[in-house]
Amino acid sequence: MGNILLLVTVLPVLGAPLAYLLGKKSPRIAAFLISLICLAEIVLLFTIVPQVLNSVDHKYVESYSWIPTIYASLTFFADGISLSMAIITLVLIFTATIFSVNYMQDRRGLAEYYALLALLSAGLVGVFITSNLMLFYFCWELMLVPSYFIIGEWGYRKPYRAAFKFFIFTHAGAIFVLLGIGAIFMLTGDLDIFSAQVALMNTPPDLVMWILLSLTLGFAVKMAVVPFHMWLPDAHSEAPAPMSALLSGVIISAGAYAILRISLGTVLPSILSISFGSQFLHSLAILGVISAFFGSFIALVENDVKRIIAYSSIAHMGYVLFGLSMFPYVEAIIGAVLHLVNHAVSKGLFFLSAGSLMKQLEIRDIREMGGLANKMPITAIAGSTAALSIAGIPAFACFISEFIMFVGAFKAIKNDGFYIIPTILMLIATVLSLAYALRYIGHVFLGKSKVEEVEKEPSLMKIAMLILVVIVILLGVWPTFFVELIASVEFALLGG
Amino acid sequence: MNLLEVFLPIVSFIVFSLLTIPVTNIAGGKRRKSMIMLSWFIVIFTVTSIFVANLVAEYYAQMEKEPFLNLTFSRGLNVIFSSTFMIDAVSIYMAIIFTVVSAITLLYSLFYIDAREPLSGRYYALMLLITACVIGACFSGDFLTLFIFWEASAVGSGFLMLYKESPRSIHATLKYLIMIIIASAFIVYGLSIIYGLAGTLNFWAVKQILMSLKDKHLFILSFIFMATGYAIESAIVPFHMWLPDAYTAAPASSSAFLSALVDQGSYYVLLRILVYILTPPTILDWRIVLAFLSIFSMILGNLLALIEHNIKRLIAYVCIADVGYNLIAITSVTPLGVMGNLYFFLVGGLTTALSFMTVGILNNIGIKTLGDLSGIGRKMPLTSLALLTGAFSFSGFPPFAGFFAKYLVFTAAIEAGLSWLAIVGVLTSIVQAAYFLRLVNYMFAKKTRRRGELSEPKNLLIPVFMLTIMIIFLGIYPTIILELIKPVVQQITLII
Repeated sequence: MGNILLLVTVLPVLGAPLAYLLGKKSPRIAAFLISLICLAEIVLLFTIVPQVLNSVDHKYVESYSWIPTIYASLTFFADGISLSMAIITLVLIFTATIFSVNYMQDRRGLAEYYALLALLSAGLVGVFITSNLMLFYFCWELMLVPSYFIIGEWGYRKPYRAAFKFFIFTHAGAIFVLLGIGAIFMLTGDLDIFSAQVALMNTPPDLVMWILLSLTLGFAVKMAVVPFHMWLPDAHSEAPAPMSALLSGVIISAGAYAILRISLGTVLPSILSISFGSQFLHSLAILGVISAFFGSFIALVENDVKRIIAYSSIAHMGYVLFGLSMFPYVEAIIGAVLHLVNHAVSKGLFFLSAGSLMKQLEIRDIREMGGLANKMPITAIAGSTAALSIAGIPAFACFISEFIMFVGAFKAIKNDGFYIIPTILMLIATVLSLAYALRYIGHVFLGKSKVEEVEKEPSLMKIAMLILVVIVILLGVWPTFFVELIASVEFALLGG
Repeated sequence: MNLLEVFLPIVSFIVFSLLTIPVTNIAGGKRRKSMIMLSWFIVIFTVTSIFVANLVAEYYAQMEKEPFLNLTFSRGLNVIFSSTFMIDAVSIYMAIIFTVVSAITLLYSLFYIDAREPLSGRYYALMLLITACVIGACFSGDFLTLFIFWEASAVGSGFLMLYKESPRSIHATLKYLIMIIIASAFIVYGLSIIYGLAGTLNFWAVKQILMSLKDKHLFILSFIFMATGYAIESAIVPFHMWLPDAYTAAPASSSAFLSALVDQGSYYVLLRILVYILTPPTILDWRIVLAFLSIFSMILGNLLALIEHNIKRLIAYVCIADVGYNLIAITSVTPLGVMGNLYFFLVGGLTTALSFMTVGILNNIGIKTLGDLSGIGRKMPLTSLALLTGAFSFSGFPPFAGFFAKYLVFTAAIEAGLSWLAIVGVLTSIVQAAYFLRLVNYMFAKKTRRRGELSEPKNLLIPVFMLTIMIIFLGIYPTIILELIKPVVQQITLII
């Protein structure tokens, strides 16, 4: 089997029209098809895992000819980081699809919904498993169009307005990414991120600086760190719950992944030695701290169920950016990537549970809820698990990754005194996240009940949430699989 | 290869055009008139494409020996005074795409313009005649031949705009014709100076003589006149006023045809004169002037489109913005830029044609402004899918063809050291995405006030979907066209 990754990308693209045709007959079958495709892809990716762990360079590469004139080729590659991101993405899409069956059942146009979901999954997974910048950009923009229509068509309140904002912000960012890609092509004559990294080593630093800034700006918009976060709260809270789970879980993680892989991995090494390199990393750390505080503070005072979670995503992207800013300290990077994985499942679960609340209660203000632990036990378990994980409580997923990140931070402090203050501030920010998580649990699930009658959650929604609960706890007590996978990446090769 | 083979496509288009009027008159009375006309057009385009294919084969057979093939009427001493035809990879490429695009737009007008109307025969005949002239202009090898063919096509375009004979279209056509007459006066004046300086109008001879010219004052004067003349004809910004009026007042089939053939042809003329004849900076450094004109075109075209409510006029403004993007590539004078230009000629033509065609379908049922467009996304799914493809291709989204056009153009600008021009292009292209998204928003987000079902005209959708499929296909696999352009890139390195 030499073309596993090609199959992984092509399957959902072919699945999209099929899902549309099947969905016209019965949306359930379309959902079943997509979840089947996701499972198949997960299995395919797991067959690569041993190769990646055991081979010499810890990589798995496939390449097909595409547009030779401009050096664009269908180059797929998988190393530990991309594999773990791709696997967790597929897990999340799988659960979101199962969740959709009941959650979306009384909505119109579900055939289109599932077809768009399949396209979205192709773009999302593609971003993580390609090393050719042109193909990367294709997948990057392929995430955008289906998301726009899913948010706009099936969202709440004024969905198209939120979708519009989301689209314009991220597209503007993407255009700057394109500019950076074009400049890399001009300087190196290559579009492969690994050979471009080598070629960039011999280029004058002044242009490379602009490339780095342009690319990072584009990725930071997708990642929604603070000066570029304005699209996130609207888009995440107005989208239908499965879409919010994907947006908050993986789409913004794709931004963080791209910063790591392209900004830091490909472009930064050539200018790491000059002072601009460390200034750049320090400013990333500062942005990370600002995002963490900003997101946490607003999450503390927000009353809308989904907006609390949306702002907490900004805060957590701040943690990740802080971790990435300590490049190339191995622990910090492992912690940041692991946090992307853990945050993806936790946040996905959080949004699904919030969706379940909104679906059954048809209210979204947490002050009107209360005492729901008895009435919706599964949702309560899911919501509390997610909230505790987001707060960084041991035995839940996010604790481990935050811990590894701080280990990396202390190592960084030894060499670079700058990181002392950001690290202290970040430790304070984790306390804030505990505060809003407890406030959420207290208002929604505990206390006196303000709601009379609640219908039971439909079974598939429960199953989807339980799968993620199990994964969150599993990752919290036994993170070894992902840690080993991520640690197998040679950071010397990635830069530094 | 001899002159006859170059003449065959041009002459056959002219002959067929003359025969079209009697054929239409005969068919007009019959019951199955559209079938008769359809088979007539199939005959025309089969014959002409055989001639074009023959020319292509002949040219490629001897390309290695003589890349720039000059064919003159008279031999001997008078060669430099004779009318000349020049065949190179660019003109071959242009002839191919013009034949293809002309065939598709003619198919559309066949259904759009009723063959029973008394003047319809002349309409089709004019379209064929203009195609002949535009192809002739591509093959011409001296300024005078180019001028004659080009003005002939411009005058013909005026009558295509006039077809409906409403007061508005008469007004717009008058405006167009006056502008064209001013332009041709400018060009003739410039040509006379060049003839005085060089003693010939043959492209290569002029280039040789200009290179050794000592006193440049007169030549600069002639350049100003000629550049102004051709700038008026291709609607570069300070001279763009005729275009929105003309394309809005003309029937949609005319707008589609003109934007896809005559517009792209006018950019080709700019490319030919500027890059091929005036290239070594020792002749004349014209790049900075063009760079500023390009910036004006992009900014003004996009801003005017941003505040426009009439859909057809909006697309017309996009045509102006497209001139700006084409000019970026022309200004950069690199092989990559020429490649981007040639790809843009095809893709820009296809996309504007597609947009005007769908707008034509919408105009037929009384939809004129963005407000009327509300909710059409659900009522006319196929038409809006086509318009969506056009919109996304314009704003440079992968996987639509417009993306590669823009990518090549921006990369060429960076390669030529004009990064600031690329950045302006990038910023205006965000504006472009914004107003196209507004259009999409109207189609899908707003509720319609119309009652009942709207039927979609199946026969008009055939050419529309031919274009849609071409745009998507070229967006995913542009290698076919890029391979066709490759010889051009090799040839351009011989001149620059």
